[in-house]
Amino acid sequence: MDKEELKNKIYAFMEKYKGKKKLKEKDVCKGVAEETGVTQDEVKKALREMIDAGRLMYSYGGGASSVEIPSEEYLKEKGLA
Amino acid sequence: MSLPQRRTDIGPPKYDQFLPPVIKKNYGQWKYHERLSPGSMVHVAESGDKIWTVRVASPRLLSTDTIREFCDIADKYCDGYLRFTSRNNVEFLVSDESKLAPLQNELKERGMLMGGIGPHVSNVIHTQGWVHCHSACTDASGLVKCLMDELAEYFTTKELPNKVRLAVACCVNMCGAVHCSDIAIVALHTKVPVIDHDKVKNMCEIPTTVASCPTSAISPDPAKKSIKIKEEKCMYCGNCFTVCPPIEIHNPEGDGVAIVVGGKIGSLRSDPKFSKIAYPFFYNDPPRWPKVVAAVKNILEVYAANAKKHERVGEWIDRIGWERFFKLANIPFTFQHIDDFTFARETFRTSAAFKW
Amino acid sequence: MPKKYETPLLDELEKGPYPSFVKEIKKAAAKNDMAADELGQLEKSYRTKRGYWKHGGIVGVLGYGGGVIGRYSSLPDEFPNVAHFHTVRINQPSGWFYTTAALREMCDIWDKYGSGLTNMHGSTGDMILLGTRTENLEAVFAEFSSRGWDLGGSGSAMRTPSCCVGPARCEWTNINTLDICYEMTQEFQDELHRPAYPYKFKIKVAGCAVDCVAAIARADCSIIGTWRGPILIDQDEVKNYAKKGMNIKAEIVDMCPGQCISYDGNELKIDNSECKRCMHCISKMTKALKPSGERGATILIGSKAPIVVGSLLSWVIVPFIKCEPPYDELKQLIRKMIEWWDDNAKPRERIGELIEAKGMRSFLEHIGVDPQAAQVKFPRKDPFIFFKDEDFEKVYKK
Repeated sequence: MDKEELKNKIYAFMEKYKGKKKLKEKDVCKGVAEETGVTQDEVKKALREMIDAGRLMYSYGGGASSVEIPSEEYLKEKGLA
Repeated sequence: MSLPQRRTDIGPPKYDQFLPPVIKKNYGQWKYHERLSPGSMVHVAESGDKIWTVRVASPRLLSTDTIREFCDIADKYCDGYLRFTSRNNVEFLVSDESKLAPLQNELKERGMLMGGIGPHVSNVIHTQGWVHCHSACTDASGLVKCLMDELAEYFTTKELPNKVRLAVACCVNMCGAVHCSDIAIVALHTKVPVIDHDKVKNMCEIPTTVASCPTSAISPDPAKKSIKIKEEKCMYCGNCFTVCPPIEIHNPEGDGVAIVVGGKIGSLRSDPKFSKIAYPFFYNDPPRWPKVVAAVKNILEVYAANAKKHERVGEWIDRIGWERFFKLANIPFTFQHIDDFTFARETFRTSAAFKW
Repeated sequence: MPKKYETPLLDELEKGPYPSFVKEIKKAAAKNDMAADELGQLEKSYRTKRGYWKHGGIVGVLGYGGGVIGRYSSLPDEFPNVAHFHTVRINQPSGWFYTTAALREMCDIWDKYGSGLTNMHGSTGDMILLGTRTENLEAVFAEFSSRGWDLGGSGSAMRTPSCCVGPARCEWTNINTLDICYEMTQEFQDELHRPAYPYKFKIKVAGCAVDCVAAIARADCSIIGTWRGPILIDQDEVKNYAKKGMNIKAEIVDMCPGQCISYDGNELKIDNSECKRCMHCISKMTKALKPSGERGATILIGSKAPIVVGSLLSWVIVPFIKCEPPYDELKQLIRKMIEWWDDNAKPRERIGELIEAKGMRSFLEHIGVDPQAAQVKFPRKDPFIFFKDEDFEKVYKK
């Protein structure tokens, strides 16, 4: 699968769970790998690129780390909005 | 304003660039050390080289001004080298013996306390407390200050049977891992949390919150799309609050501290041990917590008067028995002392042999 | 000029002989708005007996998921300068050695971007910078990382490893604690900065069983130095200890847990085959006694504080492992341990708790370590025993 396409799938996966369930990095890798048939490692690599670019972000709450779609505020602060 | 180029995943600087030349030269080749005073020692290498260490107390919470003051001193006497210990003391590393006494004089003039090496109370391991933590149910820095004002002599001069490691944790999360200290204070809640159902509905995952409870006191409340707590099962640990902040565990009238005793880390003579409850509860009493300070001092002094040389607090108690400890320390024994959590059955006395 | 608060309760904590944290906050508060409001809010906590901090949310700089702990005042209208008061964790150098040049540089950066308040150091070992605003985080990181410093760990991740002073200034160490700590920190950089674990994972390295870094109580993976040879005795130094007043029978012989030392008033003897390597005699007679022979470490697993189901001390998994650079065997072992935990743990379940839940066998089989008597205090007491078919083939039919 083309990397951009995979990133879009990851983003769609994140949107599906937004506000419903906090997703750990591993949940995203497992979930997207199951949906798309690519390996978890490939998902992880794409996910990391998205985080580096600010398309996704790490967050912390409820005693655990998770991955989220960034807020406007976050993007503005990182100079990405 | 332009910023320098950021770098990622580089890790800390390699330690060797911060080691004084005499340490670099004799790295791994130390032969022995001698304690010269409660606040100083000398390490001697196989080569005959020596390094002197002067240890001073620190509140751990330091302003940049004070760090610079330490730097000024280290520049003057230690060729610009110093370190911090695992208990947050500051150690000045002296390579030239002629600078040792002048350093000690200057530290004294500046009002810094030297001590903590050998059979003494050392700096107190502690957590953030009200200074900076969301889950604190007391102030750790404040308790440490009150405690050490009272016990300062045991840091600077007075000897004990062995070292006594004190610690303060401002909640049961124990960032300071006080659970294996000779004497430690741990703050705790004593009231069932109050649930803000509207916020729980919006902020928390119900299954995760239910699963967070170590005593299975939490169950879903489908009508409110929230959770409910079986009050008689709640031990106020606050793990649910961490997972779901609208379950408010803080209660200024109910929060306070317990004192635990007899833990140790090292394997010397006997295996490492957990600390156990001596005083189950004191109300928070800032700014000086007089009852808590008196209780810690009581335990320390009873230990000092009764233990054999080299016995740690926990080894002394193991030898005399807990029933004797409670009597000697004049601490009333209550329901709160008898365990009813995970490992309770291992703690019951399964012998008819004990002391009156 | 920063706002000046009346602090009658905290002023009480400026009195007394021990160094005062209130004085520290006031020093910073004299020139820094954030520190001033920190002082004001803390005085309020002392009055009302409760804290006013919220946490969560922001966790780091772009690309990282840890190293910054989001902290917000719950009273931002009353104390606007601590509306944001985030913690930044800077990974300390092994053994907490510094040059004054490095420390001064760090102080300058922190005065520019933060509250001017620090912890030297935090419980896990990091240098803790207390209190800055979200918009300063990238700048703080650029200033530090460009000078060779990186952030420490936080959240569901590898936490910053730490170690005792080791070979830098201690004759008792059996391993190069500073180097092992440094190499492990480098090995796990990705896992340290990008939280992908079920919960936290801590590594601590102690050079001997005195364990000055509390590895056995405070690390999921405790690496504790040990040796396999006899204790060498310098009888002249034994005599010196006696001459200086040491009661060798009471203080050394009677306190040996292996009861393997004898002393006839002249010569000290050790039955090394019964020695438990507890470090008591060596630490009390450091000029006379020292270990010899093969050096390495015991690997223990599982210690943690009470949350969630009770505190644990680490227990023995690998009785002896060689620890020589580049530490490949050690790195692979730790990776395997984490892999098993990561595959099986629930959220917020530490590796020690998971072993309790799933049993030692599953864990040991995954990491490829045989069952050994050194791993337990005593064997199973009740005859409720799991058997697998292969056990009969391998053991009981023989």
